[in-house]
Amino acid sequence: MAQEYILLNIIIWFGLYLIVALSLNIEYGYGGIPNFGRALAVLMGAIAVGGLVNRILMAVWGISGKIVEASGEVKGVANAIIAQNPAFGILLLLLSLFIAGVLGAVVGALFILPSAKLKEDYLAITLLAISEVTFMVSYYNTDIIGGYYGVTVPDILAWIPGEMRVTGFAVIILAMAFLTYLVVNRMLNSPYGRLLKAMRENEEVVKAFGKDIMMLRIKTVAVGSAIAAMAGALYALYSVNVIASSFSRVEWTFYPFLMVLLGGLGNNRGVTLGVLAFVIVKILLMTYKYEISSALHLPFEAVWLEYILFGVLMLLILYYRPEGLIKERPIITEPIKRISEKRKLAQKSE
Amino acid sequence: MPVIEGAIIYANLLVLLSIGLTITYITTGVPNFAQGSFAVFGSYVALTMFQLFKIHPYSSIPIAFVLGGLLGVLVYLVTLKPLINRGATIVILMIATLAVDLILLGFLGAYSGSLESITHKSTTKFIFTYLDFEILNTSAIFVISSLIIVLLLVFLFLLLYKTKFGIALRASMENPALAEIMGVNVEYTRLFSWFLSGSLAAVAGCLLPFRQEIVPATGAIIIVSIFAASIVGGLGSIYGALLGGYIIGLSESLVTYELSILFGAGILVYSKVVSLVVLIITLILAPRGITGVNWRRVKWLKSIFSST
Repeated sequence: MAQEYILLNIIIWFGLYLIVALSLNIEYGYGGIPNFGRALAVLMGAIAVGGLVNRILMAVWGISGKIVEASGEVKGVANAIIAQNPAFGILLLLLSLFIAGVLGAVVGALFILPSAKLKEDYLAITLLAISEVTFMVSYYNTDIIGGYYGVTVPDILAWIPGEMRVTGFAVIILAMAFLTYLVVNRMLNSPYGRLLKAMRENEEVVKAFGKDIMMLRIKTVAVGSAIAAMAGALYALYSVNVIASSFSRVEWTFYPFLMVLLGGLGNNRGVTLGVLAFVIVKILLMTYKYEISSALHLPFEAVWLEYILFGVLMLLILYYRPEGLIKERPIITEPIKRISEKRKLAQKSE
Repeated sequence: MPVIEGAIIYANLLVLLSIGLTITYITTGVPNFAQGSFAVFGSYVALTMFQLFKIHPYSSIPIAFVLGGLLGVLVYLVTLKPLINRGATIVILMIATLAVDLILLGFLGAYSGSLESITHKSTTKFIFTYLDFEILNTSAIFVISSLIIVLLLVFLFLLLYKTKFGIALRASMENPALAEIMGVNVEYTRLFSWFLSGSLAAVAGCLLPFRQEIVPATGAIIIVSIFAASIVGGLGSIYGALLGGYIIGLSESLVTYELSILFGAGILVYSKVVSLVVLIITLILAPRGITGVNWRRVKWLKSIFSST
């Protein structure tokens, strides 16, 4: 049982972090935009579920009152319906993902506007500050997603009994992650993906070819944020409650950067490998934290050890393997293939 | 006027932090995301001195100064210098300071837990306000924090304008490559800036518990104000950090206080929103900060507007 539980946990976190890491890879790995506010988009996903979907259901069922208490009532009614009719749960999942995607895209597009005037260091600071302040406001303000009380969320798998529920979620999240991977990979193996890489390498050249850099950035961060927000929504639905404190900078900005850099920038296969390696270490640390603390006679919580470990890991990657586990490969498009074939032929005839 | 006094105390501490941030940015070219945790490090130095040796936090300022400086130098030598030597980009350097911030947070958290198991007193959440006393009818923290700012300014002035090292320092801030050609050792100026940055942050951290509650993660909260202060003033200028520190520090306290009179005490937790708003307004109007604005040109523009 315990091993099964660890495996399911690894699958769930692998899926969630893969979606977020891929979204960051679009922006930072391909586009070179230092988005130090990734956590904001994930938080938007949670707000979409805990704040917006809950309020829509409140309006539909005529439940009034503060969101903290009303969300409990909404959950009760929704779970009763889902237990009878699983289709309603699926509808709720799709609605949540849709709202999260739209909210993420809009917030992402607005969020990147300062980049019109700012160099990358100023930009990174501004994005981090916006993300951090939004995090604080949604933690202190009880009217958005319940602040420090948090809100509950309907269980979209209420028709599955007890222990099987986690398995169900593992399947949903893994399927979503797989779908995201396919879509992102398809999107980046296109002229758009190559344009992003060109922007990362040299903005001036892209401008000289008549592309609007700002528009490209807005589009890219909107898409990236929409994807990351969906991961936030999935996480909220899985944990059946939303509390702002679980959307911290460390968990949703620093760790995604760590996974992307560990796997390999601008390289989706590498990022997948990076996420897998990171999640296995993290889940094992989380599962055995009490055993680790008592075995090493630590007088403090093991979470601090986790921070030190991952911080040091990040520095080691930056120092010894900045290109990641799998190195980015040059793009071989059809014309380049033809040229290299011609060259080979020319060499042979000589 | 306890509100204004509190605002000035907070602004004084913010100035210490933003000057530290700016000086390392000028010499090394990287915004240090760990500056907030440098301050919390200072808070824990003071707490340790107080709980273990019964030394008053004001008396441990020199110890915090030295230890904080050593921490700054250590961070520079171990993490940033090897990366700079490899020609790492600025984004990579920023990520490295984020990693340093996380490592420091981990150590501070682990340390607070260990300290608690020795002293059996609260170390994961603490304040010093009950230790403060009065000097000439004002709180000691007000007198001491203002005194430190005055001393710091005199020291910086003498150092930058009256010594040979100061000239070398200013030269390598203006143009490191040219200074290096002229025989200035840029490495010394970097080491010095990281020492000063760490020590000023630790001194600020020593005094911060007199004004707000400290937890190991406090650094992540105050970093927004520090960056706002440095950017509003202009990241490239020490005077800018001084100016920005007072603008952000005073507006954060006073604006939220005024708003709380209008909208009730619930608004007090949103003080960081004020810094963010000031930061964004500055970035829209003057992306290079107040000291980055070419004021002569602005006046010239004004004269055009007034004549038409």
